[in-house]
Amino acid sequence: METYVMGIATEEEVQQVLLLKKEYPEFKDALENLEMDMEVLAQGMAIMPPPGTLEKIETEINEIQRRSQVVQKIVVPNTGSENGRSDKEEKYIEVEAESNQMRVNKAWKWIFIAVFILGKVFLAGAIYFYLENRQAREEVKELKLELKQKIK
Amino acid sequence: MPKAVLNVPSAEPKDIRWFYDKYAAMLLGYINGIVQDHRKSEDYLVSILTAFTAEFGTTEKSQLSIWLELRQYAQSKLAVLTEKHHSLTPAHVNSNGNLDLLDDLQKQIFCAVYYHGKSISQLATAFSSEEDEIRNQLKRSIDKMRRSRGN
Repeated sequence: METYVMGIATEEEVQQVLLLKKEYPEFKDALENLEMDMEVLAQGMAIMPPPGTLEKIETEINEIQRRSQVVQKIVVPNTGSENGRSDKEEKYIEVEAESNQMRVNKAWKWIFIAVFILGKVFLAGAIYFYLENRQAREEVKELKLELKQKIK
Repeated sequence: MPKAVLNVPSAEPKDIRWFYDKYAAMLLGYINGIVQDHRKSEDYLVSILTAFTAEFGTTEKSQLSIWLELRQYAQSKLAVLTEKHHSLTPAHVNSNGNLDLLDDLQKQIFCAVYYHGKSISQLATAFSSEEDEIRNQLKRSIDKMRRSRGN
């Protein structure tokens, strides 16, 4: 029991103490009494901390909690619906970064589709009129040849 | 009850105050017994109590009482310092007569175990003695101090 409460018991001794504690209520009581006596012994050797020590500890704990909350805010994704700008500001922290991608409004999608289709229509029209024009020139050429032959 | 209060990871300042009121003076006395420097002890008290309250509830529950757990935690944090400076001389602590009840050998053994976490086998080697003898001396020293308090 002594080595156990002093924290120097071997693994085997610890297991033995825990087993005895579980099986024998008298042993459990004796162990608890010894633990209490060790606490009383420490109280006898206590030194009062200077004023302001508690405030230092509270400040450090608050700082640790504040830091862990900031980390949680970064890790936890936004699961709720949009609740305005203030809500966004609470869930995200502003980070300065450069991106090679451009943000485009969704409404522009239909305009891009319309421009694409119109482009195709104009291209088809241009090809059609080009071919028509070429055919017409060839016909003109043939007619000119015919006319020359008739004149001769 | 105290464990339940502190098992909440983000403990309220009220709980920290309770913890501080109950254990800070005991812990400062204990740390001072190890480092033998009042100013350093106060600095260690702040860092150890802060770390312990922050970690409390996140680590595996111990079978020990809170004080014994806290004492072992402080001992492990100060282990590096202990290794560097410890010699088997009794610590000059504010003992309130507790350690004065022990003879020199018992005082040496008790302080080496209590403050510096020396094992029975280490002490047996250091004192060129049997492990059972060291164990008996430790038991006798604890019994003496307990009896002096009427237990």
